[in-house]
Amino acid sequence: MVKFSDEKLKKVDEIVARYPAGKQKSALLPVLHLAQDEFGGWLSAESMDYVASLLHLEPIEVYEVATFYSMYNLKPVGKYMFEVCQTGPCMINGCDDIIKYISDTLGIKPGETTADGLFSLKTVECLGACGYAPMMQLGKTFREHLTKEKIDGIIAECRRNAN
Amino acid sequence: MGRKVLIDKAHIEGIRFYDVYRKNGGYASVEKAFKTSPADVVEEVKKSGLRGRGGAGFPTGMKWSFIAKPEGVPRHLVCNADESEPGTFKDRYLMEFLPHLLIEGLIVSSYALGSNATYIYIRGEYAWIVDILEQAIAEAKNNGWLGKNILGTGFDCEIYVHRGAGAYICGEETALIESLEGKRGNPRIKPPFPAVKGAWDRPTVVNNVETLAAVVPIINLGGEEYAKIGIGKSTGTKLISACGNIKKQGVYEIDMTISVEEFIYSDEYCGGIANGKRLKACIPGGSSVPILPANLLLKTAKGDTRMMTYESLSDGGFTTGSMMGSGGFIVLDEDQCVVRNTYTFARFYRHESCGQCSPCREGTGWMEKILKNIENGKGKISDIDLLWDIQRKIEGNTICPLGDAAAWPVAAAIRHFRDEFEWHVKNPSECLQRNYGLAHYADPRPVAVPA
Repeated sequence: MVKFSDEKLKKVDEIVARYPAGKQKSALLPVLHLAQDEFGGWLSAESMDYVASLLHLEPIEVYEVATFYSMYNLKPVGKYMFEVCQTGPCMINGCDDIIKYISDTLGIKPGETTADGLFSLKTVECLGACGYAPMMQLGKTFREHLTKEKIDGIIAECRRNAN
Repeated sequence: MGRKVLIDKAHIEGIRFYDVYRKNGGYASVEKAFKTSPADVVEEVKKSGLRGRGGAGFPTGMKWSFIAKPEGVPRHLVCNADESEPGTFKDRYLMEFLPHLLIEGLIVSSYALGSNATYIYIRGEYAWIVDILEQAIAEAKNNGWLGKNILGTGFDCEIYVHRGAGAYICGEETALIESLEGKRGNPRIKPPFPAVKGAWDRPTVVNNVETLAAVVPIINLGGEEYAKIGIGKSTGTKLISACGNIKKQGVYEIDMTISVEEFIYSDEYCGGIANGKRLKACIPGGSSVPILPANLLLKTAKGDTRMMTYESLSDGGFTTGSMMGSGGFIVLDEDQCVVRNTYTFARFYRHESCGQCSPCREGTGWMEKILKNIENGKGKISDIDLLWDIQRKIEGNTICPLGDAAAWPVAAAIRHFRDEFEWHVKNPSECLQRNYGLAHYADPRPVAVPA
């Protein structure tokens, strides 16, 4: 059964308090982020139901939001998700080669996860780093001015951190 | 050197933190504003001629004056930090390097509008910036700039950061409000406007990050003094995020007195086209605005020098002009393919359409499919006319401007680069090997002389 720690439950209360009384639904997006971080990097039906119960919402209110926003993962993903931007400015700066290189190196296509569960590759639309293209999001941070050498370095770094 | 009033201090070591920011004149505008009435602050912003920096360019002071003030109903200011327009990364720069400038602008603006709870709606991907902003808010609060009875004025204000979760549409103000309320980002039908019925049905003003940061120099200099920067109705400075095939990509503050040519080629700004290539085209204000070929970018159809101002960039309307938009300046050199670029934008808008209105939901996907075919040498000449027809039927037929934003780049690409599209169709295997190139897009245009 999924459940937040007391510390995280305190965080939920803190988030709810940011909004007017009785408008705790406003806390849904931040609390879903919290749930995704806590419960394995994705939102299972169980996690979403848990969030619904915390915020006194109907489960459907949570599902409809979780399915709308692209950052909520509705199925399990790798420990490290490479989210590579493929919109105009990144395309101009060679993101297609970067995507292909990651794909070849890890042996997965966009949307797939490696068998060891370590890496996922996802193509995304503009992340607001057009001047530092090509780029990808990895966890909470952006990795910019990507080259094949940098990708090798990032993969090695992830493998090191995973152990 | 152009005048800078926003990011002139960004290079100072430690400016991200309160002490350094304060030592360098930070929070002076709050002290100054609090000595006057909220109405006086609105008046200064009106005098400044400041126009919304998010893309629409609507006069900020006027927007503020629309806010309804029903008795006993709280009002809210919401800062739109959902920067997602391809080509645009200026708000990120401001928040990352000068978080206190935004907080300072938010305090003054909250005071002007009577907002006791102000929200920063930030795009979910800028996750690390949430930490930077929350730290700045905590510092400001510890030093008495936020909380109850600020500086003894009786004015209370709290600022909260609300993180989105990946949806371009939430940059549209009513979708942003829906998202703030914990719902899907489906834009609302206007009226009622947010100024009357916004977040939680309360009067709400939504402004862009750069707009709210600009309130600081406006109060410090005075509205009239600020309005002296720039040309005509393009007052003040504008942040331009420049990217694509230029030597120096990055965020520049311009005082709206320079030409497009100077912006691209001078060493103070972009430093020219990278790798000794020639300029082919440019999208001067983010992916939604019309793309222009080099010969229409540097000079207007009338033969005038095109300037980096709201008026000059839109000179010629959509037939021969473009827009300032969000300031996302995307430069394409002679090696770039306009069809491919347009295809990536169409894919973007299909991905970001909220699905509420049929013309946008169906049209964006249809355009993407056709453009993908043309790009891959599988298109027909009739596809080009079909694309034109689809974009016409999206534009103006949707609840929010995302439909227009998806239609315009396709329309402009066909309008100015139709021969490049036709070349793709007529040379299906060659277009997979090479791009169309510069062609005639930089040639001087004949200037029509009135009889």
